Amino acid sequence: MEVGLTERLDSFVRNHSDRQLATIPLAIFLVSIVVLGIVFVSSGAPVKLGMEFEGGTQISVASQETAASLEQKYADYPIVDARQAGSRVIMQFGPMDNEQQSELVRDVTATYSSVEIKQVGPVYGASLQQQAVQAVIISFIGMALVVFLIFKTFVPSVAVVLSALSDILIAAAFMNVAGIELSLGTVAALLMLIGYSVDSDILLTTRVLKRRGTPQENISNAMHTGITMTTTTLAALVVMYLVSTYSYVLSPSLTQINLLSDISIVLIFGLLADLMNTWLLNTSILRWYAGNQGSRRRKA
Amino acid sequence: MNGDEDQKSLFKDIRVIVFIIAILASIVFIQPGYSSEEGFNTGLNYGLDLEGGSWLQIRLQGAVAQLEADNEELAQTVLQNGIDDTVEIRQIDTNNGGLTVTFTTPAQLSSNHMDQLGVGESTITRSDNTTQVILHTSESTLITTYLTDALNAELVPLAVEDGVEYEIRTAVSEEELQQLMEEVGGNIVTDDQGTPIYREGVRTETRDLTKEILSDKLNALGLKDIPVTTVGEDYILIDFAGIDLATAKDIAEKPGKFEIRIITEGNESRHVLYGDAIQSVGIAGYNDNDGQWYTPFTLTDAGAEALQETAIDTGATTNPMAHNLVMYLDDEEVYSAPLSPSAAARLEQYPIYSWQASTGGDEESQAQAEQLQIHLRAGALPVNVELMGSGHVDASLGAQFKSQAVIAGLLALLAVAFVIYRRYNKPEILIPMVGTSVSEVIMILGFAGAIGWQLDLPSVAGIIAVIGTGIDHLVIITDEVLYEGKLPPRKVYLSRITKAFSIIFAAAATTIIAMSPLVVMGFGALRGFAITTIVGVLIGILIARPVYGKVIHEILESRAAKNPE
Repeated sequence: MEVGLTERLDSFVRNHSDRQLATIPLAIFLVSIVVLGIVFVSSGAPVKLGMEFEGGTQISVASQETAASLEQKYADYPIVDARQAGSRVIMQFGPMDNEQQSELVRDVTATYSSVEIKQVGPVYGASLQQQAVQAVIISFIGMALVVFLIFKTFVPSVAVVLSALSDILIAAAFMNVAGIELSLGTVAALLMLIGYSVDSDILLTTRVLKRRGTPQENISNAMHTGITMTTTTLAALVVMYLVSTYSYVLSPSLTQINLLSDISIVLIFGLLADLMNTWLLNTSILRWYAGNQGSRRRKA
Repeated sequence: MNGDEDQKSLFKDIRVIVFIIAILASIVFIQPGYSSEEGFNTGLNYGLDLEGGSWLQIRLQGAVAQLEADNEELAQTVLQNGIDDTVEIRQIDTNNGGLTVTFTTPAQLSSNHMDQLGVGESTITRSDNTTQVILHTSESTLITTYLTDALNAELVPLAVEDGVEYEIRTAVSEEELQQLMEEVGGNIVTDDQGTPIYREGVRTETRDLTKEILSDKLNALGLKDIPVTTVGEDYILIDFAGIDLATAKDIAEKPGKFEIRIITEGNESRHVLYGDAIQSVGIAGYNDNDGQWYTPFTLTDAGAEALQETAIDTGATTNPMAHNLVMYLDDEEVYSAPLSPSAAARLEQYPIYSWQASTGGDEESQAQAEQLQIHLRAGALPVNVELMGSGHVDASLGAQFKSQAVIAGLLALLAVAFVIYRRYNKPEILIPMVGTSVSEVIMILGFAGAIGWQLDLPSVAGIIAVIGTGIDHLVIITDEVLYEGKLPPRKVYLSRITKAFSIIFAAAATTIIAMSPLVVMGFGALRGFAITTIVGVLIGILIARPVYGKVIHEILESRAAKNPE
């Protein structure tokens, strides 16, 4: 099946001009920026912040009771939300004082089994927010520096960095659309995406710039390798997502693992964006650049 | 025949030898085993989210600042607060760092009363219904007393190069502190650039003391191996394996039971006071006069009176040697010594507020004095702390996470193998590729076992991520080597494999750079993810993937030799 995809994409790239190829990813890139902008204006952050960044308490328990009945049961506490996830109920609480929290923790651990509790103070949450922003920026700049050091030419390096930037912004915009909050897991996924997304770009750029043959031939060759790479990674991530998110459907003894679920879904969408950005955006810029270089060389 | 020679050369290759040694070492470190009770088991450590347990993240509240005040206003405020009557300052003299304050008040003062203020030595005279006091004190003592009252918190002054630095052991903002100092005609000292010398947090020594008290307390409760780690300047992280969150909070927050008793006869003793009668505990020091290490502490009014009363009743004041003063923490003796002759004599007449518990003159005594400093606090922490975050995972849920994470990893590997098989349609490529990937996972686990790394859920996610990038790199190598489905001539092969490795080294460098911020971010909550990814990528490009390059070449070559097309 992936062979079919590669061939279709290959002929699509061959039959369209550089400008046409770049239009689609750039349009999606702009839509993503608009989505992030709207969320930023309405909430003050480009993506919805999860409880790790906002502060609060999250308690998840194994229970046959409905989310609504648990919400009622803990109505004395600042409960914000309760939802069902398979055989578990996840409750979200706002800030409360230390004593109230201890009381709640004692009550929950005495009543339910398979309890998971996560509590983050608002001050810590705020400092995490700051650190997350710094981490993404440092990581991105570091990646960009490595890319420039490797290729030492301006246009191809910019093309790689632009594709990576677009991957991250599209993945972040997707989080907003799909209602996924920014958690430690999703920050890790965005950073991982910075690392993953340039793999195929580096392959493509090296093949086109350093191999003999026409740029189009090299692009087709790189595409065969690159799409295999991305599909294998996607296969691993889809499995990880399914096991960590839906395995409870098969057996009530299985449970959701939020961290793994968050990381995998964000990476899946980031890598789908990466397929598009590598083989349409980066390819078109590189083909245009290689064509220009080639014709200049011919003239000289 | 040809195949045999290839095999020989394969095992002579240094890369292959390193690879085999690394795999064997990893297996030793993982210590896989099987027992009928526990089933399959390993020597690997797991994080709390897989093992079950809870953790607390604590922030130490405090501020460190240099302060100055108008001596007259300061003395006036401090004395008036302490004496509870009008105070008139007559004269203030400065002499080598000290202050001599002469003041009058209508209140009747005893030297005992002045001692209790704890601001210095004083001489008291009384005539015409007015008390005149000459007090030898210092600016830092007065500032410390003033702020201790105003903030209801402990202050520790420390002489630094350019003045005195005060550590305030509670949360106080720069504005609040400035306002308090303005009330006594002073302010926060500013540096050359005019910025106030103020920072949030506590001194490193205080942070370490807090950490020590916590460790000490947990050990005292028989909870061995509870790691208390300091993160950054004012954060402390405690992991409680196998303990639920409610219990963990109780342990960390509740002080122990501290008691002082005086020996009456033989093994009999009488209760004097509990830990709540200890007002403050100073820092262990060395007394040049008697050559002894000691820990200073002060008692509350009630505590000092109780000690005086019991000492007189038991006869400790007249025969100190027969009536030791014994300190207990959670019913265990932590200190026992007689009253000093001078203290015994004074106690006959007045209660004593400031005490020094001497431990002796040698090195061991220093350690003892430092230990006593912790015991006197009865497990109460020296600074106010704020719970920044906490977490809890049931052991049963952790076990569920563990098995499910393993299932996710295995299924992910199968999915990858399926895609690879569909793409190349050749088992002779599939097997080395999947084998390399599995060997990388084994080496990551071996590394984790070797350094005692705790595998947590983020680490598992990291391992799955490494399987992903690892296969990516193997695909790059395979496609470079396998030109149009055939093995190229040796010279082309060498240049190809070099190019393949330059691509994967570049890709690995970006991954490592991208992951490195996570090593330090947010209490290292995702450190497991970052470390496994970075270590995995390094193991992959340095050990496993070069061998794959070699093996795939040998296999394709021997295959080409067997079936010439």
